[in-house]
Amino acid sequence: MAGIWIFAESLEQTKELLSIGSTLASKLGTMTSVFLQGNTGVADDYIACGADEVLVLTALAEDQPLDAYIPVIAAEAQTADPDIFLIAATVRGKDIAARLAARLKTGLCSECIGLKADENDRTIEMERFAYGGAAIQTVVCSTRPVMVTIIPRTFEAAARQSDRKGTIRELPAAPPSASTVLERKPKETEAKDISESRIVVCAGRGIEKKEDLSLVQELAAALGGEIGCTRPISEESHWLPEDLCIGISGISVKPALYIGLGVSGQVQHITGIRDAKVICAVNKDENAPIFGASDYGIVGDLYDVAPKLSDAVKNMKG
Amino acid sequence: MPDIIVCFKWVIDEAYIRTGSSGALDFRSVNYKLSDYDRNAIEAAVRLKEECGGTVTAVTVGTPGATKGLKDALSRGPDKACFVNDQSFDNLEPSQTAAILTDVIKGRLEYDLIICGEGSSDLYAQQVGPRLAEALGIPCVSFVQKLSIDGNRIIAERKVEEGINIMAAQLPALVTVVPDINNPRIPGVKDTLMASKKEVISVTADDLPATYEPALQTVSMTAASMERNCITFPADQAGIQAFVEALAKEGVLR
Ligand SMILES: Cc1cc2nc3c(=O)[nH]c(=O)nc-3n(C[C@H](O)[C@H](O)[C@H](O)COP(=O)(O)OP(=O)(O)OC[C@H]3O[C@@H](n4cnc5c(N)ncnc54)[C@H](O)[C@@H]3O)c2cc1C
Ligand SMILES: Nc1ncnc2c1ncn2[C@@H]1O[C@H](COP(=O)(O)O)[C@@H](O)[C@H]1O
Repeated sequence: MAGIWIFAESLEQTKELLSIGSTLASKLGTMTSVFLQGNTGVADDYIACGADEVLVLTALAEDQPLDAYIPVIAAEAQTADPDIFLIAATVRGKDIAARLAARLKTGLCSECIGLKADENDRTIEMERFAYGGAAIQTVVCSTRPVMVTIIPRTFEAAARQSDRKGTIRELPAAPPSASTVLERKPKETEAKDISESRIVVCAGRGIEKKEDLSLVQELAAALGGEIGCTRPISEESHWLPEDLCIGISGISVKPALYIGLGVSGQVQHITGIRDAKVICAVNKDENAPIFGASDYGIVGDLYDVAPKLSDAVKNMKG
Repeated sequence: MPDIIVCFKWVIDEAYIRTGSSGALDFRSVNYKLSDYDRNAIEAAVRLKEECGGTVTAVTVGTPGATKGLKDALSRGPDKACFVNDQSFDNLEPSQTAAILTDVIKGRLEYDLIICGEGSSDLYAQQVGPRLAEALGIPCVSFVQKLSIDGNRIIAERKVEEGINIMAAQLPALVTVVPDINNPRIPGVKDTLMASKKEVISVTADDLPATYEPALQTVSMTAASMERNCITFPADQAGIQAFVEALAKEGVLR
């Protein structure tokens, strides 16, 4: 047996992996199997989007974490011997992928951003960031299955096709887990999704106090954009929600205009703004790395520059 | 009183990597550092020891050149270190590192809890911790932002997309920690002096039962470069005006 396997937490992520999986499956002349948790109602959606087989995982007990499925999936893999296993690079997905890779004694390309298959020798070249985003590492895997986690929303989602047929198979229940969930707490603040925003003004550690974020907000308002931040602002100071943190461990943005205020421009942050059309920065240190990654910069104190900039923008727009 | 193992990596400081004229990475002027999140891992281990007693052993796998890393790690509070070193332990991929750590820990080191960083600063594969837990057959809680020991088990706050999961797992267990878990202490002169007196167990490839083949091969490592204008303006009225005009010209001020 062989095939492309897919594991994701949500319908949206599964569809994205299905678009990659279907392309690989047709290139390599094999079929696609998708794991589905609990809700069998969407099995037909998966088949319409490219799955040949849906493997239904039995619903877990309230206190069981998602990794309870590891033994079930590993047992299945040992008999089915898949070629490739695609997993969405969510917190739980990355954990499950690494542990499955250990059980199956195989390699895993983490947080893949691009992959291509060679029909002839059947190798898969996979790209990912290394050194905080300063480098792109290309890897191949010499063991089976080739495992890879894919950062959600890197690829297009698969579209529904008519007249697709597939099979649905139930898997055995998961055994009791080694760890238990005592409580699930939702996030306190829901932030706006800025990954598709046209203009992003980013707050960096050059901002001294939480109240001073108003300077960033005013410039964003003048430009008709949204605000984002660097990791220290969200994760150390907790002044803004983590969903607004731009960079390798946060989100990627691709606005027409990005302006960093008091952002030093470390590579981990820059990796999240590579696809911006125009990058700008205000920093009082003329040697700050961000100027090397910017199209236009102002060397100066943001407390002085930001208000003047907001006014100049308003005047320009009339 | 728990025996804690903390795993750390000595890595190239990415801030010193340059891009050569041909677009290749230039490693000539690099410095090394303790992988960023491993500072949080060490701090988490040392704080647990301060609360509950026990011991902290810092373990690293690397080339003999990583000795400086041992001193850095030990100055942050662990009691002793285990230095798994060999000339061939360079550019290991996560499955190899995890396999080596497994063989070193089994039979050689006592543990109730193993702490790893969420991901290493160079590869950020986020694999070594979970792989190690599987190989040792112990529970794993990854991406932990708060950790405590409650009798025979750990209570860990795990950071997930939609919020927090509070997890419990029986000891022995492994956790990987995110940087939010603590602010690592900055070692003082005394800590650095004490570090050189601490015990270091050295393990080499000859002491290990296997050879460790990579599952992943790196085909290429290229600079992720970006072409940008790099024009700067002064912060006076004329500079700000010129900056805004440049943006208008780019058509981004609509
Ligand atoms: C594995 C890993 C992953 C990471 N992931 C991310 C990530 O996803 N996103 C992210 O952002 N970071 C990430 N980081 C952290 C990253 O390396 C940097 O530490 C961070 O981006 C720096 O944020 P900053 O620029 O706001 O702060 P700093 O580096 O402290 O820079 C502040 C800047 O403000 C300037 N400044 C100060 N005062 C003023 C003033 N009055 N006017 C003008 N300028 C002023 C200073 O000159 C300085 O350049 C990661 C790190 C690691 C190790
Ligand atoms: N060479 C190594 N020696 C010891 N621990 C390591 C090594 N490489 C990785 N680790 C541990 O595993 C974690 C995750 O690394 P990685 O899987 O490379 O992202 C690190 O934060 C360390 O705690």
